[in-house]
Amino acid sequence: MAQGAGGLIKVSERSERFFDEQLPNGLRLLGQQMEQVSSAAMTLIVPAGAAHDPAGLEGAASIICEWSLRGAGQRDTRQLNDALDGLGCQHGESVRSDHIIYSAAQLSRNLGAVIELYADILRRPRLADEAFGPCRDLIEQDLESLQDEPAHKCNLMLRERFYPRPLGASGYGTPESLAAATPEVLRELFRRRFGPAGTILAVAGDIDWPAVRDRVEQLFGDWQAEATAAPAIEPPIGGIEHVAKESAQVHIGLAYPTVTINHEQYYAARLAGMVLSGGAAARLHTELREKRALVYHVSASYHSLKGHAGVFAYAGTRPELAQQTFDMTVGEIRRLADGIEPDEVTRAKTQLKSALVMQGESTGARANALASDFYHLGRVRGLRELSDAIDATQAGDILDHVRRHPAKDFTVLVIGPKPVDTGILDQ
Amino acid sequence: MKLKHAQLDNGLTIIAEVRETAASMAAGFFVRTGARDETPEVSGVSHFLEHMVFKGTALRDSLEVNRQFDSMGANYNAFTSEENTVFYGGVLPEYQDALMDLLCDILRPSLRKEDFDLEKNVILDEIARYQDMPRYRVYEMLLAEYFRPHPLGHSVLGTSESVGSLTREQMLAYFNRRYAANNLTLVGVGNVDFDALVAKATQMCGHWTAAQAGRDVAQVAPQSGQRIVTDANVARQQIALASPAPASQDADRYAAMLAATLLGDVTGSRLYYALVDPALADEASMVYDSLDGTGAFMTFLSCDTEQAARVAEIARRELARFQAEGPAEAELLAAKNKIASGATLKGEVPMGRLTAVGYDWVYRQEYVPLADQIETLFAVTAGQVVDVARKHDLGKTMLVALGPLEKL
Repeated sequence: MAQGAGGLIKVSERSERFFDEQLPNGLRLLGQQMEQVSSAAMTLIVPAGAAHDPAGLEGAASIICEWSLRGAGQRDTRQLNDALDGLGCQHGESVRSDHIIYSAAQLSRNLGAVIELYADILRRPRLADEAFGPCRDLIEQDLESLQDEPAHKCNLMLRERFYPRPLGASGYGTPESLAAATPEVLRELFRRRFGPAGTILAVAGDIDWPAVRDRVEQLFGDWQAEATAAPAIEPPIGGIEHVAKESAQVHIGLAYPTVTINHEQYYAARLAGMVLSGGAAARLHTELREKRALVYHVSASYHSLKGHAGVFAYAGTRPELAQQTFDMTVGEIRRLADGIEPDEVTRAKTQLKSALVMQGESTGARANALASDFYHLGRVRGLRELSDAIDATQAGDILDHVRRHPAKDFTVLVIGPKPVDTGILDQ
Repeated sequence: MKLKHAQLDNGLTIIAEVRETAASMAAGFFVRTGARDETPEVSGVSHFLEHMVFKGTALRDSLEVNRQFDSMGANYNAFTSEENTVFYGGVLPEYQDALMDLLCDILRPSLRKEDFDLEKNVILDEIARYQDMPRYRVYEMLLAEYFRPHPLGHSVLGTSESVGSLTREQMLAYFNRRYAANNLTLVGVGNVDFDALVAKATQMCGHWTAAQAGRDVAQVAPQSGQRIVTDANVARQQIALASPAPASQDADRYAAMLAATLLGDVTGSRLYYALVDPALADEASMVYDSLDGTGAFMTFLSCDTEQAARVAEIARRELARFQAEGPAEAELLAAKNKIASGATLKGEVPMGRLTAVGYDWVYRQEYVPLADQIETLFAVTAGQVVDVARKHDLGKTMLVALGPLEKL
């Protein structure tokens, strides 16, 4: 039985057409019909992300994700790859905290066939013994490669320490936890976690909704699995850590808590973030790079999981400038509370709305946004709603938010030859 | 979709692929200059100059430039490569005039000494940032060794020494030669008002002067052999190989694109199955780099030190096997589907077409609609693909390695 409704929202001369349905088994199906495109993108999110890895088996989700593509249904690895390639499917797989994410973009006429392949991948992956070793080995190599990507490693470690454990898990695991994984244990994890409850399939582009809907019901309607329990949560590690590395740059990451997507001050928080780091005229870039040439890169961005959110800042700089860079980054974050100029607010709004409209041209971006919105909010947000919410946020709301939710309880992660003095955080 | 074209008296070319139904527009200045056009004593000047373009003009200081880009909600940036420096922005159509007013102004930067001296520090920090990326270091090494002594081997960033000693006067002289009006192409894509674009360019760029920018298009005599750099601070062994490939101007370039996809695409390629699928390497990819008057196939491998010798040997074996046998029909069709699909998806957004349209003009003075390019791609035969691998000798490689190993 269909639940939910399509919606017709006018945005200038265009209309946004959304579709929303939940199958009886809990699988949520979302769609957005877009004009002027010949592609159709799909995003599938499965609640089997890194945060669900059992203690001692961190990295399991990453192995399972890789392993799930090594043959499925009637097809072995090569046949599955050939089938996807033959359909011109541009696909990617990733492991986040909450979910394993499968995304696939192709010409719209191939969407049906691609959905069929993904039904096999999610429901009938081969998970063969002989493929297990290489999949685990690849994740071990990815983990090892982080040594050669200090900026990326800094941001990953920061997230792990900032969020309540294990919500911020990077998904890479440790050498020990990866070594502990076995085919049998991971097959069992897969069996328990890959199911319709909490799984979202979103499509956007040149779609034929009735056809998509029927195909999904045909392929996934009888999918059953046990519902999985949410992971047990422990307090975040937080604090300040330095990882010694003889690198050319010092990589500085710091994070502080902020409001979640469903909070009434969410848009104020996003706009405050734009004032801080929305572009080259924003505070961080202007003060640290433009005026003082302390850095090539400094930025801060909003990130949210369900129930927890933070502002994550990163700066890369040469060792002799690290202390000043750290102090100034904290200083600029705090200085927002002193006041925000009207033209900063105007710029922030224009940037955010412009980015949304341009994102709205991409079928892949829209499929991702549908799935993410539904996960966080239980519904999808169209361009008109986002635009109106941004317009409705006043300068006073932004300042009010910054003052009511000041930057504090910082988590700091520094990778470089020497630590930085974080005394400014106590001031 | 149609191509519009105009040229000012000073040689500035203006082209646009217009699609009135697009939600946005993108525009960019393509300057036909890059690291290959530098002499060693000014190594890094093209890239440093790219930065300086954003640092202000007679009308605007850098803070005002940044404010105006942000005020129109622009998605903008610039990049410098071996052969091109490109400044671009994407905006909603109502901001076209504002974007063009800004882009046209900053392409005549003041190059103020205080800004020059300060921005030098940003460049030095950028050099440090890339020093921490072994993947990038091995790529620079590959270019340097493969093209030596040709200027295509020059580093885009330069070194802290060469950038440190650059003077404002050297940059200005380089700018006057290379940023001459007849060495630039202004490109627009999407919901572009072409008449307004030309009117604006005429008004703001009409007085720019032409010059003999030129380019040394001496034949490249690529190197082959091996060079190993040992660095115990690098955790994984990086290996890269280069061998000759068709130039941008060659009709063979479609076959070359297919060869690179068949051999080294991240999914379903020869190198993927030989190296990544069995987890011998976590990265094994090949790209086709089409350049002005030359080209190169470049292969990138990343693995444990214990596997390195075997990985390099397997990669070479796959190149040789491809050169001997060529592709099967099914895998050739799959490669075509992948490339066509990728280009179509990318091209749905105006920004996704900007570089393709720009390069088609800069390299070949032509415009070919994407649908026609896809048709040409699908017409390439397996025989043509293997011919490219043989004619350009896929086996004649320069190999470089960076990592803990002292030898392979």
